Amino acid sequence: MDLGKRIASQLEAATFERIAGVGLENAAVNRPKIERSILELGDVALGDGDSAVVVGAGPSLHRRDSLARLRKSGYTGTVVAVDGALGSCLRAGVVPHLVVSVDPHRERIVRWFGDPAMTAAPADDYFRRQEMDPAQAQDEVAANRALIGLVNAHGPQMRAAVATSAAPAVVARCEAAGIAMYWWNPMYDDYDKPDSVSRRLHRTNGLPCLNGGGNVGTAAWVITHAVLGKRRIGLVGIDFGYPPGTPYERTQYYPELREMFGDRYAEAFIPVDSPFVGERWFTDPAYYWFRTVFLDMAREADAETVNCTEGGVLHGDSVPLLPLEDFLAKADRRE
Amino acid sequence: MKEFLKGNYKLKTVIKEPVVSDTSSTDEFEKQALSRLGGSICFVSKKGFLWKGEDGKTDGPRETDR
Repeated sequence: MDLGKRIASQLEAATFERIAGVGLENAAVNRPKIERSILELGDVALGDGDSAVVVGAGPSLHRRDSLARLRKSGYTGTVVAVDGALGSCLRAGVVPHLVVSVDPHRERIVRWFGDPAMTAAPADDYFRRQEMDPAQAQDEVAANRALIGLVNAHGPQMRAAVATSAAPAVVARCEAAGIAMYWWNPMYDDYDKPDSVSRRLHRTNGLPCLNGGGNVGTAAWVITHAVLGKRRIGLVGIDFGYPPGTPYERTQYYPELREMFGDRYAEAFIPVDSPFVGERWFTDPAYYWFRTVFLDMAREADAETVNCTEGGVLHGDSVPLLPLEDFLAKADRRE
Repeated sequence: MKEFLKGNYKLKTVIKEPVVSDTSSTDEFEKQALSRLGGSICFVSKKGFLWKGEDGKTDGPRETDR
């Protein structure tokens, strides 16, 4: 088996090692803030009809101008965005009904909401290197300041589906911006096992546990059909990969792969053809795992999911490709 | 340790080196390294999308002791 795929096959257990500790610590800190369960969103009217668009923060979002096209279409269904796509959405004039946040990282994630504590570009090059929000990679301080204003202006119009693992700084930011929070637990492990972390966490706060599929994009999609009850879902910006020509050093896990494999790091990347655009994209072990898991989960979902990203590596029997306008027109006719 | 003890003498004491399992140290390294490549939320195979608790009727946060 290729190096990248071999690593990908081990990431289910590795993710637990990576995030369980800090996720549970954050859950304890966040506990006094918990007022509403995510299940209450099932009774809230978020957009018309039974369709939804889930917005991820992959590079196709900008390459294909998906958000401007979504706005232009006048789509009235539900829009669910991952935290990393919030800035792009608001700058494009798309105010998501729901924004999803799960990553427990204590310093980074609040930047997706605008970090009021940031006064200078940080030493951490994450936002300069990432492919998710190009605006944040330029003048970090100015982009952050502008995002604070946008999130403050639109906060009361939005709701947030916040995992108990989320960073306390994100929770404080949502509170300050007037974003109503609806809570859930990440499913950490098999809740049927006697020593299950998921079961223990559920007992402490009573919240449902959601199977997140490894990343916030998949978690947003799970919330959209399993909680909001949407039956037709179009994905934009959920690429799980990088367009041809992307320098390896501008990929999510480059520092880690470089450290693990030295000069052989490039062997960990996996090429995947993207038939919609006729391009050969590439992906890393983590994104390849996300892709595999998503395709498997989509087979089990009680919803039709189509990929309108027009790029990326997420496609298969359970997630067919469709141009965004085709999905929106179909949704319009049924609304 | 033995490689540092070279000379024109012989030790009466037998130096016992701690047993280090190459397999376990390699496993630990791999585990550590892999954990840095993981996702931001777990995936649990074959457990559905949403677990609402033992009775399956949980529809809101349990009363907390805050």
